Amino acid sequence: AAGPEMHFGFQTVTEEERREKIYQVFETVAKKYDVMNDSMTLGIHRVWKDILMHKMNPCPGTLLLDVAGGTGDIAFRFINYVRSVRQHQLQRKLKHHQNLSWQEIFESYQKDQFNSLGDSQVVVCDINREMLKVGKQKAQHLGYSEGLSWVLGNAEELPFDDDKFDVYTIAFGIRNVTRIDLALQEAYRVLKPGGRFLCLEFSHVNNPLLSRLYDLYSFQVIPVLGEVIAGDWKSYQYLVESIRQFPPQEELKAMIEDAGFFKVDYENLNFGIVAIHSGFKL
Amino acid sequence: VRCQQYPPLRALQASAALRGASDEHKKEPWASSSQQHFDSPPAGHQPEQKPHPSYTGQGGQESEDYESEEQLQHRILTAALEFVPEHGWTAEAIAEGAKTLGLSVAAAGLFHSDGSELILHFVSECNTKLSELLKKEQKLVQLGEAEKKPTDEFLRDAVEARLRMLIPYIEKWPQALSVLLLPRNIPSSLNLLTSMIDDIWHYAGDQSTDFNWYTRRAVLTAIYNTTELVMMQDSSPGFEDTWRFLENRVADAMTMSNTASQVQSTGEAVVQGLMGAAVTVSN
Repeated sequence: AAGPEMHFGFQTVTEEERREKIYQVFETVAKKYDVMNDSMTLGIHRVWKDILMHKMNPCPGTLLLDVAGGTGDIAFRFINYVRSVRQHQLQRKLKHHQNLSWQEIFESYQKDQFNSLGDSQVVVCDINREMLKVGKQKAQHLGYSEGLSWVLGNAEELPFDDDKFDVYTIAFGIRNVTRIDLALQEAYRVLKPGGRFLCLEFSHVNNPLLSRLYDLYSFQVIPVLGEVIAGDWKSYQYLVESIRQFPPQEELKAMIEDAGFFKVDYENLNFGIVAIHSGFKL
Repeated sequence: VRCQQYPPLRALQASAALRGASDEHKKEPWASSSQQHFDSPPAGHQPEQKPHPSYTGQGGQESEDYESEEQLQHRILTAALEFVPEHGWTAEAIAEGAKTLGLSVAAAGLFHSDGSELILHFVSECNTKLSELLKKEQKLVQLGEAEKKPTDEFLRDAVEARLRMLIPYIEKWPQALSVLLLPRNIPSSLNLLTSMIDDIWHYAGDQSTDFNWYTRRAVLTAIYNTTELVMMQDSSPGFEDTWRFLENRVADAMTMSNTASQVQSTGEAVVQGLMGAAVTVSN
């Protein structure tokens, strides 16, 4: 039975077809995902993700859910960030302890030594097995093990209890979700009261000149890069088309508010090529 | 391009809150004092708040009371103050404060990561406390239960009372001062400072409508700021060096104003003398 009509890039498909097609896209690109990111954005995606982490400014003890986190970029950055914050915290504590006896200092150091992340944890959730596989391999290769877990799950129906996480992030993933409203509702559900929703995604460029250049680059260069580097023109054609189909900043903001979030705002990066939306469950 | 909006009519789930008088809370509370007239009793910085909503923890939906986003932010900041001596004026202190209210530590993301809002909130609260203190004293004087203090003693006591509020946070206060001087914060911090000085002069009985109004404010602001800086460096027991410094500065200011009026009357006398001489000579 045909479902409601949806877009897959510039094509029109049913909901079921869309989910299947997107799954196949990421199954195919999984192994070359990171390489393609670097070549398409000329490495700038790393800066975007760093900015996202700075905006989050997590303190040790934060529980992060990274949805559509696939190859783990956000998760690894999170671990690095809390680790360094934790270091500073411990250093500061030691400075305070100038007046304590050696015994007391030794004991407190022991206690903190095995807690280099300060109880912070990140759960990476992705619907695509291949992407998770690549992510796990990367983690092993880079030496990330503590505070990290990998879960197979659908953003529209998360396999987690209510009120669990401090922060929910979805970086370059919400575009590929078929029912965005459901994903936002799920995000609201699994966040603790006071928790934060952060979404990093391609968005709309207002500046007409930049917009023209951006379109030119997107449609002429990116699919070619896709063919040359990943051997897959169609997936990257889908990518650039899906960016055009995605709601612009204000519309996404309204959708986030509809899901129940407060203090929703967005920050444009690179004139709107990318935007970070933030909201709180209050 | 940043975009902010406060949706006016939605319930806050965490504290089972529904927006009440949302429009009055739209303005940032610490900017509200700029509308005060120097001769009307300063209203302090508290927005008209309903009685504190009872916060029943995570399951707060049963509570009947409501609050707005801004009230929630106020509560978080107030809760965060207790963690400032340990963590400084930082997002960490705010996160700990949020935790005590049963919220996620991510709620610290509601505020700037340099702690500006926390510091401004604290200053605003201190100023309000000072106002209330001065008002109480004034009432006692009006009821005849206390003597009206001479101006220099009054100023001294008011400044001392206000500076004493910094004592629990004195270690981290230099950090706070530097944040208050950031260009972004200067309008708000200047506002708070001037309204506090206005307050003190108002309760000191200042009725001036001439240039004196400005000189008095400038002088007291200088006294306050310099004493605050001295206090940062003071390691004497009970800050007695600071209070002595304050006493001297206030005395200087009094002398100066006496001298100024003396100079004025001497000047007038000299002018009259010259006029007399001129008349005599012309005759």
